[in-house]
Amino acid sequence: MKLQVKLAIYNALSKGIIIAAFGVLMPLIVKQVVYDHIDKRLIARTDRVLMIISKGGINEIIMEQDCSFESYNILKEEFISIEPLSNGTPAPETIIGNEQRDVGGERLTHRVIKQSFVYDNQLYQLNIGEGLSTIYQLNKIIMQFSLTLMIIFIIVSVFIDIGFARLMLKPFNKIVKQKLQLSGNPASYNFDSVKTSTWEFSYLDKSINELMKKTKDAFLIEKEFIANVAHELLTPISILQNRMENMIIGNEVPVEFENKIIESQKTLSRLSKIIRALLLISKIENDQYLKQEDVNLPALVDEVISELEEVMEEKDVHAVLNLEKVPPFGPGNKSLLFTMIFNLVNNAIRYNNIGGHIFIRGTYANNQYILEVEDTGIGIETNQLDNIFDRFKRFGSNDGQGYGLGLPIVKTIADFHRVAIFVSSKRMKGTTFTLKFQITPVA
Amino acid sequence: MNVLIVEDEKSLSHEVEIYLTKQGYNCDVAFNGKSASEKIFVNAYDFVLLDIGLPDYNGFDLLKEAREGNRDSAFIILTARSETDDKIKGLDLGADDYLAKPFSLMELHSRMQAILRRKHGLTTNAIRIGEFLMDINNRTVHYGEQLVNLTRKEFDLLHYLALHKNRVLTRMQLTEHIWGDVMEEDYDSNYIDVHIKNLRKKLSAFGGTDWLETVRGIGYRLNQ
Repeated sequence: MKLQVKLAIYNALSKGIIIAAFGVLMPLIVKQVVYDHIDKRLIARTDRVLMIISKGGINEIIMEQDCSFESYNILKEEFISIEPLSNGTPAPETIIGNEQRDVGGERLTHRVIKQSFVYDNQLYQLNIGEGLSTIYQLNKIIMQFSLTLMIIFIIVSVFIDIGFARLMLKPFNKIVKQKLQLSGNPASYNFDSVKTSTWEFSYLDKSINELMKKTKDAFLIEKEFIANVAHELLTPISILQNRMENMIIGNEVPVEFENKIIESQKTLSRLSKIIRALLLISKIENDQYLKQEDVNLPALVDEVISELEEVMEEKDVHAVLNLEKVPPFGPGNKSLLFTMIFNLVNNAIRYNNIGGHIFIRGTYANNQYILEVEDTGIGIETNQLDNIFDRFKRFGSNDGQGYGLGLPIVKTIADFHRVAIFVSSKRMKGTTFTLKFQITPVA
Repeated sequence: MNVLIVEDEKSLSHEVEIYLTKQGYNCDVAFNGKSASEKIFVNAYDFVLLDIGLPDYNGFDLLKEAREGNRDSAFIILTARSETDDKIKGLDLGADDYLAKPFSLMELHSRMQAILRRKHGLTTNAIRIGEFLMDINNRTVHYGEQLVNLTRKEFDLLHYLALHKNRVLTRMQLTEHIWGDVMEEDYDSNYIDVHIKNLRKKLSAFGGTDWLETVRGIGYRLNQ
């Protein structure tokens, strides 16, 4: 999940929780505040009524003894009642509570204070009530209003958060794009620092730059090392080869040794080929080849075939080509691609049976050119299929007949051009190599 | 023909010197860039064989410097360095050819011949082989008035054999010459035999080819 989404969700959740808590607690708090307020008023009124009674006598209010009195205001929202209590009843304290009352057929909730008092040796109870329905209604309206306001507030703030997070993370995305998604060649690394006012990002940027500097140094050292190894190994080989050549040309050696020298030359040549192949692989892997050409793949296959025509003739191997037209593949390195296809076809010839066939098919669909090289040869053992592209495992194979470094080179060139390569094989039936080229059609 | 061999590896320059002297060249040797620079400045060489990886001098600088003063010399770069653009750079700076170490001395010689032909037309353009006449410039082989139809590789093969006539050329050397680097490290597959077989077949339709000798187990020789 993206960080900015996470941040937005976190913000929304935390605000939501606060608002939910608020929503639960607010009615209770409001109720309490309202009750407190009403209660105070009721007590004050009770005091006033009692004062009036103590000053002017109860008869001002109640006409006759033993009669009760009840009075509502017009809207039935307030009432006062005084009722005599039988003398035996224990005098209750002041009680305040809610009470349902039937008023003119309506059932209304009132906040009622009950206060008993003694007048003329008679026990009375004074009830003063205030209707709650208006207040409840008001309460509800306030609640609804504030909840709506808060939900709107959450939605707006989530959007603001997302926008802000995006803005804040912009340098981060830039760092990732500019610094980390490079083509694998540290030499072309961009050391420009990304503009940001966020300390963490500039720290990250700086750390990546430092890391890449080390990587780049190591890369350059490796590159230099490879070049040096090449020089150090190939120069003595060169001396030996030329010396042997001179020995043969100069008729310096008896004929019986000539063959041995020629055999040694072959061995030497094999050694230098291996070194060159390894160099080629590491040079490709180090991005030391340019990819600038648009390559016509069917034409390239034709070139390979014509290059190998005589070789096929020798083994009486016949190539059957079926290549669909395709827009050029590129940018690529034509001579590397040539080597790749050459090695595949060469292998198909080498491990073929005399009189065998090579089927080369090219199909173009969905911006993909699939090139298959199928032979009718001896095939590859299943347990070796996984290793044929691995240059290090090739050396370890003790089957006596190495496939050389041809296929590791093929694989390296394919990877270099982001061409997917697959192999399938049946013992004594043949092997099929499949290459998948991504084609960008010209608009 | 005067040749300057610029090579810091003494054993290597020694072998090249032995070979080229036998081929009739006058050889001079420089083991570092400084002495090479001096020698090029003082003497007129037809060929400068230049190792790019010199201890004291950037080979490309030397090439540039030498090229400016010596329009007539032919420069062949010899290098074991494996930088991709070395070849392009060298040729851009005016080198005439480029050989990667290890190279075959005969290959070196045939490249030198090719340069001579290209630059000065100094070598003979026609080579007589038995009853056949080989035209190097037009890349044709005639038997009397009749054209022998050869493929590019067959022509190259015959030409290479003719260039080093009376000398055994191993299959390896021949393969390297006509295939370059693309072939892998197996010379036991006798690709070259097929070419020779086809060459013999095509030529013998016109005349005798007993001058083309198979040297058992080694390779081929053109006797004349």
